[in-house]
Amino acid sequence: MGIITISREFGSGGETIARLVAEKTKFHLVNKETIIKGLSDYGIEQPPEDPEKAVSKEDIGPDGRNYIEAMHDYIYDLAIRNNLVILGRGGSFLFKDYPPALHVRVIAQFTHRVNKVMKLYGLNSETAVKLVKEKDHEKRQYYRRIFDLNWNNTRPYDLVLNTEKMGLEDAADIVVAGYRIHAEPRQVKDGPDGTDIENGILTSPAEEEADKFMHSSEEEFASMLDFYRIRWDYEPKTFLLEWDSEGNVIEAFSPDFYLPDQDLYIELTTQKPKQSWRKNRKIRRMKELYPHVSVRLIDKKSFESLLKKHHPEESKGE
Amino acid sequence: MTDKIPVNNDQLKVIITREEIKEKVEELGKKITDDYAGKDLVLIGVLRGSIYFLVDLTRKMDIPFAIDFISISQYGEQSDSAGVVRITKDLDLSISGKDVLVVEDIVDTGLSLGYLLRNLKTRNPADLKVCTLLNVEARRIVEVPVDYKGFEIPNIFVVGYGLDYNEKYRNLRYIAEFDRP
Repeated sequence: MGIITISREFGSGGETIARLVAEKTKFHLVNKETIIKGLSDYGIEQPPEDPEKAVSKEDIGPDGRNYIEAMHDYIYDLAIRNNLVILGRGGSFLFKDYPPALHVRVIAQFTHRVNKVMKLYGLNSETAVKLVKEKDHEKRQYYRRIFDLNWNNTRPYDLVLNTEKMGLEDAADIVVAGYRIHAEPRQVKDGPDGTDIENGILTSPAEEEADKFMHSSEEEFASMLDFYRIRWDYEPKTFLLEWDSEGNVIEAFSPDFYLPDQDLYIELTTQKPKQSWRKNRKIRRMKELYPHVSVRLIDKKSFESLLKKHHPEESKGE
Repeated sequence: MTDKIPVNNDQLKVIITREEIKEKVEELGKKITDDYAGKDLVLIGVLRGSIYFLVDLTRKMDIPFAIDFISISQYGEQSDSAGVVRITKDLDLSISGKDVLVVEDIVDTGLSLGYLLRNLKTRNPADLKVCTLLNVEARRIVEVPVDYKGFEIPNIFVVGYGLDYNEKYRNLRYIAEFDRP
C-alpha cells in the first residue's frame, strides 16, 4: 500500500493538487464524497446530525461516533488493497505510524485564499471571507473534536507546500517526487562534521514545546472562560481592513475570541508592546471601520497579571 | 502618600491611605443608607477579601439589614484546572424578594463577579446591586454592573484592607501596591 495524505487549508488549491497527484501516480483518490459513497454501499449512512459540525466532543452522539469509526475502518480497509491519495479526513493522523506514507499540508495566506475563492466561485469579498473562515473553523473543530489535535500544528507533516509560491501542477509534481524519494529511502552518509552540525542545531525541548503549543496563551484563556462558564467562539469572524485598487483584500483581522453573551471580541497579545504595534494598528483600524463592534485587547501585562492572579504559587520565584 | 515602606522585606507602596479609606467608606455608607431606606436589604459579603470593608461599611449605615456571606472557587486554585467555578460556601439566608447588595473588595476581570451575579439572579431577589471598594476597569474582560464604587485603580497588584497576597497583608489598614516576587 502506498499512501499520500493531503491536508489543506480551504482555498489553497489542495483539492486540485490531490486530483493531479492521483492522476500522476495512478493512486486511488479518497475524499469525503468517496467515503460517504463507499460506506453507503455497505449500508452505512451518515447520521442526520453531522458529527463534523459538533461543537464539542460531548455533542457527538453514539451514531456520530459509530460513523466516524466506520469511516476510519473503511479507509484502513481500502489502504490494505490499494494505493491511496487521501484528501483531508485526518489522513495524516490515521497513517501517522506508517512510515512510508507521505503527509502533505497545503497552505496559503488567508488573504490569498480569500482572493482565490472570490475568483473561483465569483463571490464578493465579504462572502468569500465568511466562507474561508467557516471552513477553517470547521477543520480546526474536526481536528480538535475527533483527534484531539491542534490543526495549526504543521509538525506532523513531511512536506508543507505554500501555493502562493508555485502553480498547482508544480506542487503536484513536487508531491509525486517527494513521495518517490520518501517511500524509497536512500542511504545518506553523514560525515562526523555533519553530525556535529546537526546536533548543534537541534532544537531544545523547550523550543519544541513552545512550537507545539503555538497558542498556549489562547488555550489558557479559553480554559479560564470555560471555568467561569462563559461561552466563547474561537476566531469566528474576520474583519476586512484594507483593499487594493482592484478590490483584493490586503489586510484582514480575526480577533481570537468572541463572547456571544457579551457580544464582545477579545484579542490576546502576549508580545512585548514594541512588537505589538501592528496588532494595535489593526485594532485601531477595526474600531474606525466597525465602530459598532466591541473589541478588547488584552495586552501582555494584563494577561500575565491574570495568570499570576490565578496561579499565585506557580508565579512565585519567577 | 507614595513613600516606600518595607514590610517583612517586601516592597509595599501605599496608594490609598487609612484616612482616604475611612472617608470613602463613610460616603458609601451614607449613600447606601439613603438608597435603601425602607427596603428589605441583604448585604452579601464575598469571602474572604471583603470582610474588612463590609464591617466598616455597615458601621456607617443607619438602616436595618441582614448580612450573609458567599464564597466561590477561583480559576487555578486547584491543580485540576479542567473544573468549573462552584460555590464553596453558600448563603444561609434566602434572598428571594429581597433587595440584595453584593459587597466586593475588588472588581477586576468581572469573571467571578459575573458568575456570582448570574447565580444570585436565579434566586429571584427583588433587586441586585454591587458595591466594591476597588474597581480596575483596565483589567475588565466581561462587563459587570458596579453600582457603588470606592476607588478606581490602575492595572496594578494591590494588598491590604482585606486584600491578600498568599493570605498575607489582609490586616494592613491602607491599600498598597505590592511588588510580587
